[in-house]
Amino acid sequence: MSTEEQSIDETNNSESRAQNHEQEELDEDLRLLLLPDASSLPQTPPSAVESNFVTYFALDFMKPGHDQYVCRHANGLCVIGLASSHIAFKDEGGITAVDFNVGKSDRSGFKVTGKRKKNAQHFESNTALCKVSTCNDSFIVRCCVKGSLLEVNQQLIKQPDLLNTSADREGYIAIIMPKPADWLKIKASLVDVQEYKKLRQVS
Amino acid sequence: MEGPQLKHVPPTAAHHLLSDAPEVAPSELNDTVQSLPSNAVKDLLSQEICARCIFRLFGVQGHIYSCSLLSSSTMSYIIGGPTDLSGDTMDSCFRKCENLSSSKDPKCDAKLCSLCLGILQFKFSCDTRTQLNKNTPDAVAVLIADMVREDGHQIDSFSLEVSVPPVIVENDNAIQSYMRTRYGAEPWFQEKLHFGCVSTKDALKFSIVYPLENLLGCKSNMNSFRIRLTCGLSNSSKGARKCPEGDKSCKRIKTGLDNGVGVTYDSMVSHIECSDSSKVESNLDGEKPFNSLLEMSSKLCGMFLEKVIGPCHFTVYCCRAPIYFGGRYLKYSRNVSQTRWIIDDERMGEASVEEIIGENILQRCHGDSYKFHAAGREDIDVRMLGPGRPFLVEVQNVRLVPSDSFVKDLEKLINNLESKLVGVKNLKLVGSHGWNVMREGEAEKQKQYAALVWISRPLNDEDLQSVSSLKDLKILQRTPIRVLHRRSPLEREKIIHWMKIETVAGSSQYFLLHLCTQAGTYIKEFVHGDLGRTHPSIGTILGCRAEILQLDVTNVKMDCFLP
Repeated sequence: MSTEEQSIDETNNSESRAQNHEQEELDEDLRLLLLPDASSLPQTPPSAVESNFVTYFALDFMKPGHDQYVCRHANGLCVIGLASSHIAFKDEGGITAVDFNVGKSDRSGFKVTGKRKKNAQHFESNTALCKVSTCNDSFIVRCCVKGSLLEVNQQLIKQPDLLNTSADREGYIAIIMPKPADWLKIKASLVDVQEYKKLRQVS
Repeated sequence: MEGPQLKHVPPTAAHHLLSDAPEVAPSELNDTVQSLPSNAVKDLLSQEICARCIFRLFGVQGHIYSCSLLSSSTMSYIIGGPTDLSGDTMDSCFRKCENLSSSKDPKCDAKLCSLCLGILQFKFSCDTRTQLNKNTPDAVAVLIADMVREDGHQIDSFSLEVSVPPVIVENDNAIQSYMRTRYGAEPWFQEKLHFGCVSTKDALKFSIVYPLENLLGCKSNMNSFRIRLTCGLSNSSKGARKCPEGDKSCKRIKTGLDNGVGVTYDSMVSHIECSDSSKVESNLDGEKPFNSLLEMSSKLCGMFLEKVIGPCHFTVYCCRAPIYFGGRYLKYSRNVSQTRWIIDDERMGEASVEEIIGENILQRCHGDSYKFHAAGREDIDVRMLGPGRPFLVEVQNVRLVPSDSFVKDLEKLINNLESKLVGVKNLKLVGSHGWNVMREGEAEKQKQYAALVWISRPLNDEDLQSVSSLKDLKILQRTPIRVLHRRSPLEREKIIHWMKIETVAGSSQYFLLHLCTQAGTYIKEFVHGDLGRTHPSIGTILGCRAEILQLDVTNVKMDCFLP
């Protein structure tokens, strides 16, 4: 190491030492409070989605094999996506492209602003959200829930593979905000997780 | 800890004290009255202006106003009678006059003063909550002292505030013009009226403050314990009077009684001065012109001041200005919200920090109500540990102001509660600036956390290094889904200043993540990634799935309310 590099290195070291000292400032009482009891920890804890959302499924939505999920948060917002049993996944190579330019507008182009989200587009449950394509075919993904479209997952445009790897997390399609009355209406036609597992023979 | 006993101010003993030993000797009263120009005093008395108002007009100040012997009849007696009476006779004569003027016998009822509307005669309307047993300053002081005592206030001083109806000020302006016009040429005018008129408010204060100080056993000054006297036009005295604001001369006052319009003296005067003294235009409908200045002036004096229909409504309100407790709180429970949280009549969580701290302070200080403020907040399932989070409790109308040792005991009390859900540190009384201290830089301060994290693969040594090597990491957080229903959809850039992984014995996939972040960072979302809407996240940094099980705040780096 040259002398210049050495002195830079020393400065870095003393900086990080100072920071480490600050980081180790936690006193004993606090340390004890923070320590978890390893024996009480579950092997695999529930995921954030499992803990905070209730998952429903819309099966054969408008067309056979078009299975979608609706994950509803306690605050009423619904995350829409492709269920693992969707026929798009059965194609060789899985999903290769996602296009939000369907229906009358490009769904990825619109920005919703404000607390009340007054400028969000209002869609019906059968309104098209996007088109997903495989090598051989393409499929329309729909809202499933009537409400205001708050957001679409723009990552899918550049990374459609997210649908193949984690359709239930980073591969979500959109977030919709239904009115309480509209949610109750659509809920009747959805199935819960247990029902879904039985019907689609998924574990 | 027992609630402190509230000190008693014995009432009846004090009443007895007052009447036996008046502060103002009759001779002082005699001398003060004699020092005033008798022609003016007689004139004003004949216009039914009360004794205290006469004193006011001549700029008299001080405790003479509180003399219970002071009344129109005694003043009349002094001005009219011989000046060299012996002390005894003077006193007994005064008392006779006093009894006459302050008695409730309607036959002896002196007319309500048209300047102060009876306020300085202590004659108030019947709808006053508590009746005065006598129309004297002492009686008013007793009324106030009883109220303070009954409400349980412990005070070491007080401030007296008075409010009177606006027409009183108009009246003062009018009478001063009259005095100027009528007596301007007199030799004593410059000297006697040099100091200007004392306001009705001040005269009322002079009347009451000395007996009140005696009764309450403390002095009056700028204090947080406020006694407010409000004299308002009662329904009977209102009539249809409308007093325009602002402009002091040339006003037109509408009265309900007269069919015409009453004009203030100022405009009359200016008009008269412009014209021939023998021929005066009449501004009043249907009135004959006046023959002489004297006749006119005496008539006007009575006319321009509104005919007082009835006495004022008098209310006493006493309360202490809010006091502020500052400190830091700790939250040991994952089922306690910061503030009271009720949805559809159901409480969320088992308690709130606000109520635990606020209720205990409120009860011990015997206040009316409290408000809880804190520098930021944490979720109901997140513990607040370490030095704690700064908070402020504002308490309205406490009956006693706590001492330092009282406050220390209060802190111990809260920390020793059986439930041990909440702790308090550095509790102390702060001024109203405490609010600013807390709000200042709240958004800039850094916060420190400890999160219990699980990842989908075993932890390795490189992970510890890759995490702790990241300094001032910039992350982009889209509004988390869990708050998206009530917040604007935005992308916020936040900084993670440093991170450190602490391994957990007995587990390869769990660890404690210590981190220090910019204020406003969503920690839970930084761990689990919020469906990729927070980027980077712990998951993306370690290349696997990450979940957060528990979160604790370990430091709120602010300069306020430290030991």
